[in-house]
Amino acid sequence: MSFSITSFFDSFKSALLYAPVTIKLTAITFVVSLLLGAVIATVRNYRVPVLSQFFAAFVTIYLGLPTMVALLLYNLLFMTFYSDVAAALHISVPISDVNPIFIGYITLIIGTTCSVSESIRGAFRGIEKVQYEAGYSIGMGKFKTLTRIIFPQMVPILLPGMQNSLIGLLKASNLVSAISVVEIMTGALLPSLMYYSYLEGYVAAALVYWMIGAAIEILAHFAEKNSGKYLKRTA
Amino acid sequence: MIELTGVKKSFGKQEVLRDVSIKVNDGEVVVILGPSGSGKTTLLRSINFLERADSGIMKFGEKEINFKTAKKKDVLYMRRHTGFVFQNYGLFAHKTVLQNVMEGLVQVQKKSKSEAQRIAEEVLDNVGMLEKKDSYPSQLSGGQQQRVGIARAVALKPDLILFDEPTSALDPELVGETLEVIKKVAKTGITMIVVTHEMSFAEDVADRVIFMDGGVVVEEGKPSEIFYKPKEERTRQFLSRIIPQDAYVI
Repeated sequence: MSFSITSFFDSFKSALLYAPVTIKLTAITFVVSLLLGAVIATVRNYRVPVLSQFFAAFVTIYLGLPTMVALLLYNLLFMTFYSDVAAALHISVPISDVNPIFIGYITLIIGTTCSVSESIRGAFRGIEKVQYEAGYSIGMGKFKTLTRIIFPQMVPILLPGMQNSLIGLLKASNLVSAISVVEIMTGALLPSLMYYSYLEGYVAAALVYWMIGAAIEILAHFAEKNSGKYLKRTA
Repeated sequence: MIELTGVKKSFGKQEVLRDVSIKVNDGEVVVILGPSGSGKTTLLRSINFLERADSGIMKFGEKEINFKTAKKKDVLYMRRHTGFVFQNYGLFAHKTVLQNVMEGLVQVQKKSKSEAQRIAEEVLDNVGMLEKKDSYPSQLSGGQQQRVGIARAVALKPDLILFDEPTSALDPELVGETLEVIKKVAKTGITMIVVTHEMSFAEDVADRVIFMDGGVVVEEGKPSEIFYKPKEERTRQFLSRIIPQDAYVI
């Protein structure tokens, strides 16, 4: 098996061209999942009746579902029921004009929300009870205590896990190629289709993923360095 | 100032407070003594609703609150008119000394940042912690943290400050500096309820001592009465265990 540098660069360029698709998918999914995960973890932490039991059951069950299975399942449901639902809602967009990436968004957001909510629940446990009480004792309400005292203290606890989740998500976003979304890997393989230069294509895709992953790790490193200052004992 | 009547509280099957009634007058410093498990901390925390008593009435200034039916606004009212000093300090770990004291002034009392900073610096100066205003709690000794904790409570100018065993978590050599600060606060004439095991402090500072055991008030009176002429056998037993025998002679 020979390795053509020219084909590799063609694939690399093509992969870079589609990198924004992957980055956007990863970034938006992550931000939305973080917000939803925070809500679920908070509801469960405060044991809000009904909702907390519902989320507990949902997260437990959903965490067992492989991302690929979920993706193909939602895609199938979408293909099957789109026209009926669209007709009922008077949407005149034909199914061929709907970008399949939104199925990817739904799949990745639900999955990531579940796993992120568990990390956030873990971070809640890392905060001493007296931090809540101190907030209440100076007259702050539950919400203010949560947003001004508890959440900021959870950040340094959460960072290593969030870095992990984000890189995991970056790699999982690759699965959307299964529902014909063109992202980094399928992008890298576009030139390969013409010249049968698959090895170069896969290596180029790996390199681009690795570069984005490295950027995330560097960012996380700086974030960690700056957010945990108060934890260090300088005396 | 504050009057509690018939306060009851159980944790599960365990009755921690069984019908406690106490009254604290304006400007009075009251020390609550008692063996561990006597309910003194629970009583103190009930005033600030850090613990929800099952029943009882609390009169605070003009306000009358029933523990059973207290609403959110009653809880906030009590918390905004009382200060609380925790046994394990309870400083906000992610905020500097100055930010700890300013937090309530800015977020709760809605003072401007500059005004809050002026007040915070003045109070920190009073407890001897102004130099450390930019330090984080993790960089301070226990005694220093507790002085900041006291400053945070005092800065909000509450009508009543509750101290929950403020020196119990401290190394013996740091107890003195913290007690000095509490004495200083007491001299400003603010009403205080202090749960402590420091007998000499109680004797020096308290206008009145309340002795609790088994979830009830056993006896109360001036420090000299309680310490040297206790009426109840249970008080005598407790004191004999914690005051060295020779102290009785003096």
